[in-house]
Amino acid sequence: MKTIITVIKKEFTDIFRDKRTLISAILVPALAFPLLIVGVSKLRVKLSDQEEGKKLKIAFIQAPESLKSGFGKGNFEFMDLDLEDGKTAILNDSLDAMLAFGSNFSQQIDQLKPGDLNIYYKSTNETAYDRVSEEVKSFEEVLLQERMQKLNISSEAIQPLKISENDLAPPKEQIGRRIGGFLPYMFILFCFMGCVVPATALITGEKESGTIETLLTVPASRFKILLGKMITIAMVGLSASLITLLGMVAGLKFLPNIPEDFLEVISNLLGAKFILMLIAMLVPLSLFFAGTLSALVVRAKSFREAQSYVSPLTFLVIIPAMLALIPGVSLNWQTVWIPILNIALATKEIIAGTISIPMYASIVLSLIVLAVMALMASIRQFSKEGMVLK
Amino acid sequence: MIEVKNTSKQYSLNRKQQKELRIKANTVAAVNNVSFSCKPGRVFSLLGPNGAGKTTLLRMIATILTPSSGNIEVSGFNTVSHSKEVRRKIGFLTGSTNLYDRLTPGEIVKYFADLYGMEKNEFNQRKEELFTRLGINDFLKKRIGQLSTGMKQKVSIARSMIHDPEVVIFDEPTSGLDVITANSIIQLIRDCKKEGKTVIFSSHIMSEVDLLCDDLAIISKGSLIYNNSMDAFREEASGQSLTATFIDIVADKKPQLI
Repeated sequence: MKTIITVIKKEFTDIFRDKRTLISAILVPALAFPLLIVGVSKLRVKLSDQEEGKKLKIAFIQAPESLKSGFGKGNFEFMDLDLEDGKTAILNDSLDAMLAFGSNFSQQIDQLKPGDLNIYYKSTNETAYDRVSEEVKSFEEVLLQERMQKLNISSEAIQPLKISENDLAPPKEQIGRRIGGFLPYMFILFCFMGCVVPATALITGEKESGTIETLLTVPASRFKILLGKMITIAMVGLSASLITLLGMVAGLKFLPNIPEDFLEVISNLLGAKFILMLIAMLVPLSLFFAGTLSALVVRAKSFREAQSYVSPLTFLVIIPAMLALIPGVSLNWQTVWIPILNIALATKEIIAGTISIPMYASIVLSLIVLAVMALMASIRQFSKEGMVLK
Repeated sequence: MIEVKNTSKQYSLNRKQQKELRIKANTVAAVNNVSFSCKPGRVFSLLGPNGAGKTTLLRMIATILTPSSGNIEVSGFNTVSHSKEVRRKIGFLTGSTNLYDRLTPGEIVKYFADLYGMEKNEFNQRKEELFTRLGINDFLKKRIGQLSTGMKQKVSIARSMIHDPEVVIFDEPTSGLDVITANSIIQLIRDCKKEGKTVIFSSHIMSEVDLLCDDLAIISKGSLIYNNSMDAFREEASGQSLTATFIDIVADKKPQLI
């Protein structure tokens, strides 16, 4: 045990003086969520406000006067163009949209028939269609009210169903389902990324620099040295994961317009139960990552070679984590045995408060088995003379 | 004491390696049936051209590699069956100064002392002695990455000698060093001899061998082709330079003596 602790202490001192580890294991995970949530949402709000405030240039063809007079309340600038010029102007971005009414639009309306209206726009001009169609809907509503008055029909008569939505899912479950898929995707990914830099530094780095040779002349077993290194790698991965979670909570605190109940659920996430259940899965997962990466990078003679081994592995981590984001993919006795996907789905269920304990226990157990297998694989590789020496 | 008896080391080759080396056999012998012994209080030099098998042999003595056949004993312990005991007895130093760039000399030496299971007092005393002798105190707080090659080699020496080993293995310890640092290593080897340690070292520099060695062995293409005392080797030279004699022996122009 003393040897393992000695190795861990030394490796921690060494890797936390390495800027790459600090960036990949602390800085990026800590900033990922705040940048993603706060940064992106603030940028979105800003851009959306800019778009909303922008005066849209539109053209009318044979539009009824009643529409023109009330259209847009000053947020639109009207241009006088014919149909072909209007289309050209939309294509070269000098016009945002064009509303072309049919030549007998007024008669159609008077005869209680649908009036023809063509809206011209470019789908790449994202807000133009939404803003114009909103105005058109208001106009349609006015026409509908006029018709119902004319026909002496009450609004209730054309509403056969009076639907009241009653969502009985508690806010925790609703939010759990909404963010539960994304959250594990992030911390699984950062757990893996957190393991990559120390794994290459502590295994390939030691081999590349030749320090492994002198390390193998000390009276400590290779198993203990490797175990010390693997525990260090796993601890960095685990820290990266937990820092991601903390970053998310900190980020949400600064995010504007977050509903109170949502914030409450997020704050509750940091309760002892959730954290313990998460750590119980993340510990074997990070050991599994550490073992797999160690077994892989010990084959490499240089950092570059190690990276070429690790890169394809990233996809093997991302794909199952992403599967959990697909609606309909849920935790069952089949998905329980799929590594990474099982953690992502279980996290979703833990957040929602609907986790099945036998399934959760099976996941933890399967992850422990995988971690042991990965450890054995790396020990096997580490025991080979040709693998360890450059 | 080091006893090397009929030791061989073979490597199996894959197809790519067979092609590269233009060899049809699926194994290659890096060391072939080598026997010699190094006695305490004497300096034993292992000479040979590049790729002769010197490093492989030293790595086998240091328990880093396992012999394919034969037997190596260090201070009476077999390097395979009692590798842990052997490692406690040896200090291993290579010419390529391999240290952890982000650690300080003190941290590196402490790391190895902990791995050797040294007690705190014993460590502090030994560290003080070595650091003073090697002049490491002048750059104690600098990280290895900031040190010169010579300074790094001094730290390497302190690292490999911290547990006061009975047997010291030097693999080209002065390669790439300036004259002053090389001289301090030569002095250290002399001190080891005085302290009654068994010293084995490989080198290309005949002047160093002449200065330090009591016994020497020459290895070529994995086989031992000369093994005798340094005095006998000087006699062999009979007026010729030691380098020329070494070249003649390797080129099979002089009688080989095992």
